[in-house]
Amino acid sequence: MSLLQANLRTRLTVLYASLLGAALLLYAGGVSIFFLRNLREQLDLSLHRDVETVEGALSEDGDGGLQISSREGEADEDDLDRGYLLEVWSANGRLLYRSEQLRGQPLGPVPTGSAESNRQHAHSVLLASGMRLRSISHVHHLADGNTVIVRLAVSEEHLWHEFWEMVTVLGVGLPVIVILVAFTGYLVAARALKPVDSMAQRAAQITAEQLSERLHIENPNDELGKLGVAFNTTLARLERSFDQLRRFTADASHELRTPLTAIQSVGEVSLKMPGDVSYYRDKIGSMLEETSRLTQLVDSLLTMARADSGHVQLHKAEINLFDLVEETVGLLEVLAEEKHQSILIDGDRSTLVTADRTILRQALVNLLHNAVKYSPEHGDIRLRIREREHDAIVAVEDSGPGIAPEHRTRIFERFYRVDRSRTRAAGGAGLGLSIAQWAVSAHGGTIEVQSESGCGSIFRICLPKHVSPVGVR
Amino acid sequence: VEDEIKIGNAVSEGLRAEGYEITWAQTGEEGFFHASSQGFDLIVLDVMLPGRDGIEVLQTLRKQGSKTPVLLLTAKDAIEDRVLGLDAGADDYLVKPFAFAELTARLRALLRRNKPEPGGVLSIATLEIDPIKRIVNRKGHRIDLTAREFELLEYLARNHGRVVSRQMLARDVWQETDRATPLDNVIDVHIARLRRKMDDPFETKLLHTVRGVGFTLSEDNS
Repeated sequence: MSLLQANLRTRLTVLYASLLGAALLLYAGGVSIFFLRNLREQLDLSLHRDVETVEGALSEDGDGGLQISSREGEADEDDLDRGYLLEVWSANGRLLYRSEQLRGQPLGPVPTGSAESNRQHAHSVLLASGMRLRSISHVHHLADGNTVIVRLAVSEEHLWHEFWEMVTVLGVGLPVIVILVAFTGYLVAARALKPVDSMAQRAAQITAEQLSERLHIENPNDELGKLGVAFNTTLARLERSFDQLRRFTADASHELRTPLTAIQSVGEVSLKMPGDVSYYRDKIGSMLEETSRLTQLVDSLLTMARADSGHVQLHKAEINLFDLVEETVGLLEVLAEEKHQSILIDGDRSTLVTADRTILRQALVNLLHNAVKYSPEHGDIRLRIREREHDAIVAVEDSGPGIAPEHRTRIFERFYRVDRSRTRAAGGAGLGLSIAQWAVSAHGGTIEVQSESGCGSIFRICLPKHVSPVGVR
Repeated sequence: VEDEIKIGNAVSEGLRAEGYEITWAQTGEEGFFHASSQGFDLIVLDVMLPGRDGIEVLQTLRKQGSKTPVLLLTAKDAIEDRVLGLDAGADDYLVKPFAFAELTARLRALLRRNKPEPGGVLSIATLEIDPIKRIVNRKGHRIDLTAREFELLEYLARNHGRVVSRQMLARDVWQETDRATPLDNVIDVHIARLRRKMDDPFETKLLHTVRGVGFTLSEDNS
């Protein structure tokens, strides 16, 4: 399993451990270099002091040789690491003195050129024997005016020993720290990610049949909690739409079954009965009536299904609302006339909306159809068109029995009928208002009902007002 | 061309009874074979067919230069489906389930296409309708009708002797294309009023309701 496929916990741990390791490595490197520099500086300081001491002890011995009055501090045979090593050259490149312990190995090349050019700051020298030294070159003027070049060196072995000791401590400690931290991190990550596991397990158990289950959330404010809350909200929405769908399917099949049953029973019964042509004609006619009812129902269902799937394209145009209302009234007024009802239209004749005429008219037709259906004989139906700042309102007021509060919120539901016992012949399939509601909301509008039992109902359609194109006069 | 045996049977039987000569094909291939080998006056083509579907058959026919009028039958009535069918070269479009009366009316319309509607006075028994002056007389008595009633009567008269369904009236007289619109009651009221004006005062009734199907204007009383 490659690292990318490993679980989040491992990935996080590895990532953090590597970051920590890299940071510590940088730090340890920095510290080591600093430490080495420090050690060298100390060494250089003592070199300078030693040079001064040695120079103080130098003098000439009459015949051009060199006299060293004190050898205190010079390295001795058994301990090369302590004490200094010395080399003294004359300005013309003649070796005047060399510590025995150097065993003939030079501390540097034979000095050439002017004496001054042989002055050197402290620097490291590697002897042929493999020994590392810190060396310094000084130009010293003897009392008699002769110039000598003094090279002094001390062993660096001790310094390196200290340095490597330090590096070893760091080198051993660093992986230990990284491993410890990684392990702890792994445990902590396990704790932090535990809710994910339990959420995943729980989510896996939730099926269409158990949508009421919810995830358990420990802390709704942390990231995982938010994820859980979002998941639960989605579940809630899913549950709602599943419920709606289930109810819709149940209702739809009930509505479809009723005319089917009628067709079947009429057919079966009339097949058994001996009858004349007119009897059979009548029976077949009655079956056909049910068929056309079925057809209408299926058409309404199709309209709804299409609306649900968002497949309906609105062909929007600028529409005069008053004209549309008048047209709708013109279509249905015969029904009102039959019941001696009067339909009144009032309001602004110039209100414009942007809408799909056919679809919006369907909403109006359905509302007005209901108003006529539920208003009593000689009742009044009033259609008002009003304009507000941002929207246009059509109100359809009937003088019917009104809608009791417990039904009011549900009348827009599909197949919902206030009076369940109302026959389909009089009541339709209970889809009219749902279709109206869809038609209005497809235009970005809302539909609401205001009603009191016994005082009629008012259905209001609010639509966004037509906005005239800017810059056109 | 129709693969559903019941529908195919009913349609061919009904059309034969109307005096048409019928060849019934049950698959797209068969239909295409007949259509390209015989000269038909009219083709009724189902869209959902096994194998080659109706739209394909139609497109191939049109590509071959066939000009036979084609009426598409389909269960899909979304606007896109209609557009698809008409674009493929169909002359008309009928959505299932359909009233047989409507099918025959559409077929007649396709057959008389390009022939102008007779402009003269329509007379059925004692009823006389002048479509230009928009005057209706019966036995010399002038009958006053509203515009809608007149259109309704004219439509019935033009289809006289045949049954006209509510759906046909909704579409052709009320120009209402959406079948979900509740117009049945409206149509019934208009029919009742028309009947009151033109039939009630007279002994012979002309306007009949055919239960479950629609209405017919006919001197025959069956």
